[in-house]
Amino acid sequence: MTAPAGTDTSLQSRRAVVGRVLKTLVSPGDVFLWAAILLVGLPLISTVFIGVFAGGGSTWNHITDTFFWTYLTSSVTVLAGVAALILIIAVPAAWLVTLYDFPGRALFSWLLILPLAAPGYVIAFAYADLFGVVGPIQTTIRDMTGLAARDYWFPDIRSSWGCAFVLAAALYPYVYLSARAAFTTQSVCTLEVAQSLGASPWQRFTRVALPGARPAIVAGLALALMEAAADYGAADFLGVQTLTVGVFRAWSSFSDPAAGARLALILVALALTLLWVERTRRGEAGYQASSIRWRALRRTRLSGWTAYLATAFCCLIFVWGFAAPILRLAWLAVDARAATPPLLDPLFNSFLLAFAGSVAAFFTALAFALGTRKKHFVSKFAGWIAAGGYATPGAVLALGGVYALNVLPFTLTGTAALMVLVLVYVSRFTAAGVGPLESALERAPASLNAAARSLGASSLRRIRQVDLPVILPGAAAAGLILFVEILKELPATLMLRPFNLDTLAVRAYAYASDERLETAALPSLVIVLCGLLPVIVLSWRLSTGRAGGDVE
Amino acid sequence: MRGFLATIGCSLIVSACGGGQTETQSEPTGTINVYSARHYDSDRLMYDMFEEETGIRVRFREMSSSQLFETMKAEGDDSPADIVIAADAGTLWKFQDAGLLQPVESETLNAAIPEKFREPDGHWFGLAKRARIIVYDPERLSEEQIGEYGALADDGLDGELCMRSSSNIYNLSLMSELIERWGEDKAGEWAKDVHDNFSRDPRGGDTTQIESIAAGECSAALINHYYWVRMATSRSEDRRALAEATALAFPETGDGTHVNVTGAGMAANAPDPEAAQAFLEFLVTRNGQELLVSETKEFPMVAGVPLPDGLDELPDFIESAVALNKLGENQATAQTLYDRAGWN
Repeated sequence: MTAPAGTDTSLQSRRAVVGRVLKTLVSPGDVFLWAAILLVGLPLISTVFIGVFAGGGSTWNHITDTFFWTYLTSSVTVLAGVAALILIIAVPAAWLVTLYDFPGRALFSWLLILPLAAPGYVIAFAYADLFGVVGPIQTTIRDMTGLAARDYWFPDIRSSWGCAFVLAAALYPYVYLSARAAFTTQSVCTLEVAQSLGASPWQRFTRVALPGARPAIVAGLALALMEAAADYGAADFLGVQTLTVGVFRAWSSFSDPAAGARLALILVALALTLLWVERTRRGEAGYQASSIRWRALRRTRLSGWTAYLATAFCCLIFVWGFAAPILRLAWLAVDARAATPPLLDPLFNSFLLAFAGSVAAFFTALAFALGTRKKHFVSKFAGWIAAGGYATPGAVLALGGVYALNVLPFTLTGTAALMVLVLVYVSRFTAAGVGPLESALERAPASLNAAARSLGASSLRRIRQVDLPVILPGAAAAGLILFVEILKELPATLMLRPFNLDTLAVRAYAYASDERLETAALPSLVIVLCGLLPVIVLSWRLSTGRAGGDVE
Repeated sequence: MRGFLATIGCSLIVSACGGGQTETQSEPTGTINVYSARHYDSDRLMYDMFEEETGIRVRFREMSSSQLFETMKAEGDDSPADIVIAADAGTLWKFQDAGLLQPVESETLNAAIPEKFREPDGHWFGLAKRARIIVYDPERLSEEQIGEYGALADDGLDGELCMRSSSNIYNLSLMSELIERWGEDKAGEWAKDVHDNFSRDPRGGDTTQIESIAAGECSAALINHYYWVRMATSRSEDRRALAEATALAFPETGDGTHVNVTGAGMAANAPDPEAAQAFLEFLVTRNGQELLVSETKEFPMVAGVPLPDGLDELPDFIESAVALNKLGENQATAQTLYDRAGWN
């Protein structure tokens, strides 16, 4: 293109710059990314906006004077407890299951994923009963010792530490899965070289495998901590006043959503810090995947007491995270023979909302995963937005939605509210889908995309013919994860569901907070059951579909 | 039980429709939106029955009362709510105080509900009664020792009491009544002395307190009667055993037992006030009353309605004469007194 005579050259170059910038920002593939950013960011940004500009009234002063330190110390205690428990439990479990053979290994490799199916609040119901003063554990203690409850000390499950114990049980699979994936895909050669140089199993774990897997472990932990920070149901049920509970109470007890939004800023900041940690760690991992030739891992067979110890360790984790709480709920439902609460309607409603939400969130996640392959600032921005939404409690995002509905103005119970609810799901869970999609994309070497590009394929065509086929398995995983996450969602659903549209989660929580745990048990179990099917499919896929895994 | 009630309900409806069919069909059939803080499955039957009887469709939204309150406030004039149902007069007062309810003039309601159980202008009506009573360990205490609210402050009960949080509306309303009975100073003193007798920090709900007594963690607590009744009528043997390990005291001397209500009022911006009033009036019919209390184990408000299973075991007791609308007015003071006493 030649410039017309007389045009100012500086203007011309400025135009060129603007043109280039525009091209980076709005190339056809990026249109989807921008749309996704807008959708995901809307509730989050409105919350931040309210927090920064609308807060600061007398309620805020009251909260800072009275509850702020309680909120902060509870949250810090819960998060620290969750992080410590998960690291101690999930990383060794992943290492054992990946590199060693012991009785029950194949079974545990997927059993340990099952807690993904159970939301934190369901685990909280069960442990409140198990560890309660008339629960089976304390009753046994009293029966055996003849003491009364006033004569001995027993840890209080309705405390910050109890809440950490419960949330870690529900969330450790995030780290277990990412650590296992890292251990599985790491270079077998590196481990063999270490072994040939005389490194002991412990040294191979701490000095070769752990440093290599650390980025993945930290990334998984960041995810788990975001979930823990956003938890409302478990903390509220156990009476632990975390920041997230505080955010909700600022609205429901102090009538000041703006003060709640301001509290939420701390959670958003925390989320962004976690994201920053996760991203920088992932950056450091660049050297790791250099091995191109994959070979099936040869597991070392454990024998004697080490084998039993490994089995016992995995067994203990499974009992803690899944078997004990779920069996207890099942027993509660059977023992009380409670009048069966209506389940079909809530089940249908749960499926309806989870389906609508996961379809919408899947497409935004896809746009994000494809967009972030190009390493420009838009994709970074997208990453921050997605993680910000993920870590922001559903209650807070819903609050932004409530505001929007009132301004527009719509009621909180109509079709518009339903759409806002789906938008909140998108905002909250897109990040959970981006991870699996991104790791699926990473399976396709960037060279594949570049090759297609060199052959003159447009970006849309590259997406359709190169990217999509490669990521299809990962896409299925992402879709399932989104479906389960949304099925389990509580606070936003509570606030924005239309008339008569009670989900299983809403019913279960209502019964439990009415002190009718035995009635809550059945819908809780149905939630877990719904969650189980995708989790089993997912675990099957993970154990068969990964390079260097069981099957080539 | 529910199946049985549903059968009764259906047969009643069938017979009712036989007589009233022409009437109901000629009336305009609207829809009412109920905001309810109750989460009982029997309420669905209640809505269905009203729908069958009047042709008015009921849509409901169940949340905690504070969430309903904020939702209604946020919705303002556009709120679709016709009816608010909430437990505790203190909660209903909060809705009234925020201008979210409108007065209803109804002969039916005024005739069915004693004066002290409804708001004088008809902003809300008590529909079912709950007594806040003392539960105790009969092996460690006797009814003579523990038969009064005032007795809980006794020095001899050091380390014997379990309580739930003071921010709970049941405790707030009880304190509001004690302020009304004794005045602020004595009520504040009581809170302090009761707090000194705690065996542990406040924890859990009313059920938790019964369990704590059964397990020997403490010897006395305050509960709403129906939590004990549900435990005593549970189909689980273990649960029944817990209730049987404890005893109940209904305060009689002084002003009797603190009685609170589940109640309802018409939303200030009710889109369909006539249908809303019809619904309120349905709730004091025999059918409405029975369904209101069958699962909750509350006392029916209307005289002559049979008691739900398990309530006939309870002794007769003297209801407090304090009018319920006083409870809301004292609420803020009540919380201050608890806070000052260190009762979380």
